[in-house]
Amino acid sequence: MSAAMETPVLSVEGLSIALPKGGDRPYAVEDVSFAIGRNQVVCLVGESGSGKSMIAHAILSLLPKGVTVQAGAARVGGQDVTRLTGRELRRLRGGDAAMIFQEPLSSLNPLKRVGRQIEETILVHQNPAPSAAEVAARVQELLIQVGLPNPPVLANSYPFELSGGQRQRVMIAMAMANRPALLVADEPTTALDVTTQRQILHLIDDLRRDRGMGVLMITHDFGVVADIADHVVVMQHGRVVEQGPVEDILRNPQADYTRQLIDAVPQANVAGAQDRRQAPPQLVVEGLRKTFLVKRGWLQPPRRVVAADGVSLTLHEGETLAVVGESGSGKSTLGRMIMRLTEPDDGAIRLNGQDLRQLKGEALRQARRGLQIIFQDPFASLDPRQKVGDAIARGPMAYGTPRAQAMDQARALLARVGLTKTAADRYPHEFSGGQRQRICIARALALSPKVLIADEAVSALDVSIQAQVLELLAELRREMQLAMIFITHDLRIAAEIADRVIVMQKGRIVEEGPTRALFENPREAYTRELLNAIPGRRFFGFAADQGVAL
Amino acid sequence: MDAVRAFMRHPSGMAGLLMLIAVLIVAISAPFVFPESPWEMIGAPFTPPGEDGMWLGGDTLGRDVAAGIAHGARVSLMIGIASALAAVVIGVLVGAVSGYFGGKTDMVLMRLTELFQTVPAFILAILLVAIFNPSLTTIILTIGAVSWPQVARLTRAEFLRLRSREFVEASLCQGESTARIVLGHILPNAMSPILVVGSLTVATAILLESALSFMGLGDPNLMSWGFMIGAGRTVIRTAWWVSVFPGVAILITVLAINLFGEGLSDTLNPRVSRRRA
Repeated sequence: MSAAMETPVLSVEGLSIALPKGGDRPYAVEDVSFAIGRNQVVCLVGESGSGKSMIAHAILSLLPKGVTVQAGAARVGGQDVTRLTGRELRRLRGGDAAMIFQEPLSSLNPLKRVGRQIEETILVHQNPAPSAAEVAARVQELLIQVGLPNPPVLANSYPFELSGGQRQRVMIAMAMANRPALLVADEPTTALDVTTQRQILHLIDDLRRDRGMGVLMITHDFGVVADIADHVVVMQHGRVVEQGPVEDILRNPQADYTRQLIDAVPQANVAGAQDRRQAPPQLVVEGLRKTFLVKRGWLQPPRRVVAADGVSLTLHEGETLAVVGESGSGKSTLGRMIMRLTEPDDGAIRLNGQDLRQLKGEALRQARRGLQIIFQDPFASLDPRQKVGDAIARGPMAYGTPRAQAMDQARALLARVGLTKTAADRYPHEFSGGQRQRICIARALALSPKVLIADEAVSALDVSIQAQVLELLAELRREMQLAMIFITHDLRIAAEIADRVIVMQKGRIVEEGPTRALFENPREAYTRELLNAIPGRRFFGFAADQGVAL
Repeated sequence: MDAVRAFMRHPSGMAGLLMLIAVLIVAISAPFVFPESPWEMIGAPFTPPGEDGMWLGGDTLGRDVAAGIAHGARVSLMIGIASALAAVVIGVLVGAVSGYFGGKTDMVLMRLTELFQTVPAFILAILLVAIFNPSLTTIILTIGAVSWPQVARLTRAEFLRLRSREFVEASLCQGESTARIVLGHILPNAMSPILVVGSLTVATAILLESALSFMGLGDPNLMSWGFMIGAGRTVIRTAWWVSVFPGVAILITVLAINLFGEGLSDTLNPRVSRRRA
């Protein structure tokens, strides 16, 4: 890195950030130092709670109230940000240094057209203010640069009219508006699906090359690190564990923690896939159809979104079937329709030969027993006012198990999923995301279902926790002879857990096959596209690279 | 318990609670401190405060204003709390059914709610009391009947928000009955904002009752703050104390309930209170 010889774009020097009294630790980050040169991408990696986001926020002086920089400096172009106030700080933000956030929807003003929002960023920082025509031209140019289709129409759209990927592109266009020397990206692709993630990472990389920008990328995914980073800083509990050039860290990690994080990355190795198509069918779905009508305005016709267009599948006893696809492909709706949480327009769902769609009331309630679901968000899927033990015991009790027995079962299940028995008497907020997901698994299993649907069940978790939860699911599946539908956007996870994979696009099944065959020999272009988008392929690779051109 | 501790640290909320307790003590002790009926004419008419043993003075007929306020506190608080309770019961019932079942049920119930909201509450209350002779029960029911729409609206919004939450869907998948889902999962999670609105409804109910009594539409057998102000309004220039002291009583009580309700809101909805911190 010859860039290191010049003044770095960003240098963080012995930065310590103090948390308010009464927190779980006195410092959010302690004595952190690193530097970013021109045209360099530095990745800050760590699990949630490692303090990596705090550093990003400190660089733009966006720390929450009560959290203060205790010692050290964060210099952007030689100027210590932590000492700036008022006008100078505003000149820096969106001028020399720009930031993009994880959730693009909440970072855009919902009531303003996106073109107008980009214009504002330009006008705030340009003195004297350029003419309206100049600004408009600049906005169009930026929208083209970030690869958005039809810029004139797009500039006139509101944020809710765009997809997640498009919104993130608009955020990047805004960040690029004043040609910043430094771009801080806080988990910019975590909320996006694999293909969009790949496009956004590419875009950031291209823009960096064009402009010689320094990029600070915050992520928990070593796959992303392998794809984009020049230099890596690994953090744990607010301290730097290790830092160095990306090749060194990936190939030759010094710290155990780094090695753990790298090992936790799902490698897209087809592991335990077995062909179970000879086993008798457990769940048969035939010709499911669902179209959502989205109202747009008084005069416009409603927009039709086809979530399922004649979806049929068979799940055999003991089989794990992964359903993969981008967001909007209809994979979650499929799971919800099978659970009868969303009513399909047409089709049949047969569990052990019985059509669930024909059932009502008590008969449906009885049939539901054999079918359970684990949701994506472990924070939303537990009642905050219900003790964990009750949450698990409630299901069996609803089917007539006496309370004492149901509670004993619940404690045993909690122990089985790796929590202590005393967890039963505590409330959900006392548990971490991974622990909550274990509780949700215990709850789903309390009714000894035949079929378990896992709807992005590990997507909201850190990679290391992800690996543990997946392992638990694989064990339980063997123990309890579960047939499982695993809905995920992450092909690496599908490869590790599934016997068979279904690829969905726009409400249709585009390809289906045994996991190994599908990964080694994808027939459809769309499947190849998904496989290509797996982050970290350059470094981690996976079993079958043939037929896939990078 | 956390909520209680947080409330104890909320200065204005605690001030409201202490004031409210003071009003309660006055109401409870009224029959002991002023054992005679507040309607009893115990002194000369227009006795100024402090004279003749009446430290808040006497009214146009020589009745003790202090006794009236103490006994009136019982009436005001009881009507306030009972009618707020009635409003919450009706409102939660309508809002819960509307929000949980949605569709046509929701349509019909919400149009009904709007019907009540478009008619000015006070006019409707006057009309209802005039139709069903004023008595304690009819006044409580009337005030309840005109105050429920906002509770219903709020409950419906909370139910709409909560019914699509994953923990509710999870309990559905676990085979729990509709009643259990509504009473065991949705209602407890919707309770804090309902509690806040309910407590503020007590304040508006007290004001409504005072206004009704002021117009002579209160229960003629009950001494009430509104009635006292109404009776004293013609002599306000010569005997200000007859209407000012009951007015202050209303002010203190309503202010106390509002402060208490706001404190409750801040502690039960941490998102709002954090913004204030």
